[in-house]
Amino acid sequence: MKGKVYIRGCAAISPQESFSGSFVPQPPTLADDNILRAKEPDYKAFIAPNNLRRMSRMLKMGLTAALQCLQNAGITVPDAIITGTGKGSLQDTERFLHDIRQYAEAALNPTPFIQSTYNSVNGLIALQQQCTRYNNTFVHRGFSFEHAVLDGLMLLREGNAANVLAGGFDEITKEHFYIKSRIGYWKTALTQPADLFSSNTPGALAGEGAVFFVLGAAPAAVSLEGIKMMYKPSQESLGQALETFLSQHQLTPADIDLLITGQSGDSNHDHWYQFVQQKYFPDTIATPFKHLCGEYDTAGAFALWMAVQRMQEEERLKHVLIYNQFYGEQHTLMLLGR
Amino acid sequence: MAERVFITGMGMISAIGNNVVENLRSLRLQQSGLGHTRYIATIHKDVLPVAEVKLSTEKLATMAGFESTGGYTRTTLLGLVAISEALTAAGIADAKELPAALINASTVGGMCDTEKVYFDILDPQKEGTFLQYIDTLDCADCTQRMADITGIREYVTTISTACSSSANALMYGARLIQQGLVQRAVCGGTEALTRFTINGFNSLKNIDKQFCRPFDQQRNGLNLGEGAAYLVLESESLARQRGARILAELSGWCNTNEAFHPTAPSPEGDGAYEAMKNALAMSGRTVEEVQYVNVHGTATLNNDVSEGKALERLFGAQVPRFSSTKPFTGHTLAAAGAIEAIYAVLSIGQQMIFPNLHFSEKMEELAIVPETRLLEEYPVQNVISNSFGFGGNNASLVFSKYEG
Repeated sequence: MKGKVYIRGCAAISPQESFSGSFVPQPPTLADDNILRAKEPDYKAFIAPNNLRRMSRMLKMGLTAALQCLQNAGITVPDAIITGTGKGSLQDTERFLHDIRQYAEAALNPTPFIQSTYNSVNGLIALQQQCTRYNNTFVHRGFSFEHAVLDGLMLLREGNAANVLAGGFDEITKEHFYIKSRIGYWKTALTQPADLFSSNTPGALAGEGAVFFVLGAAPAAVSLEGIKMMYKPSQESLGQALETFLSQHQLTPADIDLLITGQSGDSNHDHWYQFVQQKYFPDTIATPFKHLCGEYDTAGAFALWMAVQRMQEEERLKHVLIYNQFYGEQHTLMLLGR
Repeated sequence: MAERVFITGMGMISAIGNNVVENLRSLRLQQSGLGHTRYIATIHKDVLPVAEVKLSTEKLATMAGFESTGGYTRTTLLGLVAISEALTAAGIADAKELPAALINASTVGGMCDTEKVYFDILDPQKEGTFLQYIDTLDCADCTQRMADITGIREYVTTISTACSSSANALMYGARLIQQGLVQRAVCGGTEALTRFTINGFNSLKNIDKQFCRPFDQQRNGLNLGEGAAYLVLESESLARQRGARILAELSGWCNTNEAFHPTAPSPEGDGAYEAMKNALAMSGRTVEEVQYVNVHGTATLNNDVSEGKALERLFGAQVPRFSSTKPFTGHTLAAAGAIEAIYAVLSIGQQMIFPNLHFSEKMEELAIVPETRLLEEYPVQNVISNSFGFGGNNASLVFSKYEG
């Protein structure tokens, strides 16, 4: 690794009041289902009315978060646009499936098909900002956003970019919520996010969001020191990977000032966090985040955003570690420094 | 100095063959895989030609070593057939032997199977084994099943940039190797025909009712295809240390975005030009050293003008031999970049240029015409392979002959 990589700007559309103003974490109150819905901003400030009309929700959310992120970083055209999304624009995928059935494959409107392609948000950002350079989209559950970050780090190391726009986005729909409920993804009884970690029941609360970052070599308050992904690890190999990851950065668990963990309140999978906390971080201050954003493929992006907010507020936080996993399969460590 | 990246194994399945040797044989015999679907329930089945793999999903399951399909989608099974050939060809008996990456590409994941049961899934009254397909809705399912069966696990991910997906997978794997994160990356893509995609491209009026005619004045769209292809990429040091047979070098690559239109390229081929130019610059080769370009050549009105203009801009009056192999395989979307990467390596290995089928009339916008003959004993040293997609996602790869 040649130089350090800094987080030069970020923006988040999430179930929190995260898009503008200062961030005060507040578990939402759910009315009738286990879905934490994103608080969408007024898109008119970002997208021209005739485009707005055509664009589906995920595209609007993704594009707007990306544009605000660039603005926050003081950059117009990044050298690369890299995103991760587990499901892309679900609304469009669903709509095209329904259209095919309803209209018996005749005279279909192509718009939902086009927008359902996973790279459509990337294409839109590139189009709007006239960014003609590197552009990539990862679509791999709990590794989607994380590979976008790794790709960005590699581009910076290669010297092929000075500023990388990297983000993650996913939405949840009623239909997809129902589909995943059939294989136990969600809690069956209505559970308030504030009670998430005492629920002790299987399943998570569904969430969504669009979160972007500008990564670059120019110094900023927070640096992204490294990322490590582990696919279906054993407890033992996870522990080894954690030790190695920290020691590669000349750190031990005691050096971590804040641990951000991806507990989802899911009694099937939260044991991973208990293991890591008990074995390595018994005395470290730890905070969960999925009571704020819900569980989704690219929730790791929200965790990173939250880490940046905390570090901007609290000078004493020198090293922050994020540990997140998605339904026991994709595990990720992200290390932040100064 | 970053390490050189070599190709040490390849595996594939397409409408023109269930492995690399069969694909090469069909290319030489100039036998197209285009026809009509046997397996997709669509009103377009007798109207829109496709290049379908000539095996039922059950047969594919048998080929992949399973007794039944058992929750494996056609996408996954195509991928498993191809990746297992690639590993065997590379002389890798146990992929777990060292930390490796699996970089896969997919455009619609397991849609081929989920679209058949989607409305059953939505119906609370219905229960059954179809529920096992729920998790195959996304693009990660096929990749993870391939990772689990091969034992590759250090980096496991999936890329989706429409028609350039697997070219980007190859690029990403090569970069992981150059960065020293792994010494071996198995990269490629898998795509099964779906009613979803056929209707998607048809709604865009992008599908020719006849067999596709790339770079022809009368071309009228693409034909969709299916298949899977994987290439084993290894660092020079690993390949030398284990005495691997080196098939070619992946010597250059570039990814650009057109930022022009969500589904159409710029008329002057700006993105294609930049991608080819920069990939070639990275490879350290000059335009004179390129003997063959395996073009994206989808036969849509827009692509071929744009790509042709880019070729003329880059190569001037000396455009090398070029052809689109999509009349053989159809446009296999996420698999196309990897399938054509294998054809590029075969072109170098066999000293052969593959013909652009179904061409008869030069395009009025261009001065150039594709190669329509099979050229044998042709001195191919460097090949450019192009993959351009929706969202303006362009990728060019340069493959070079390995000189001992």
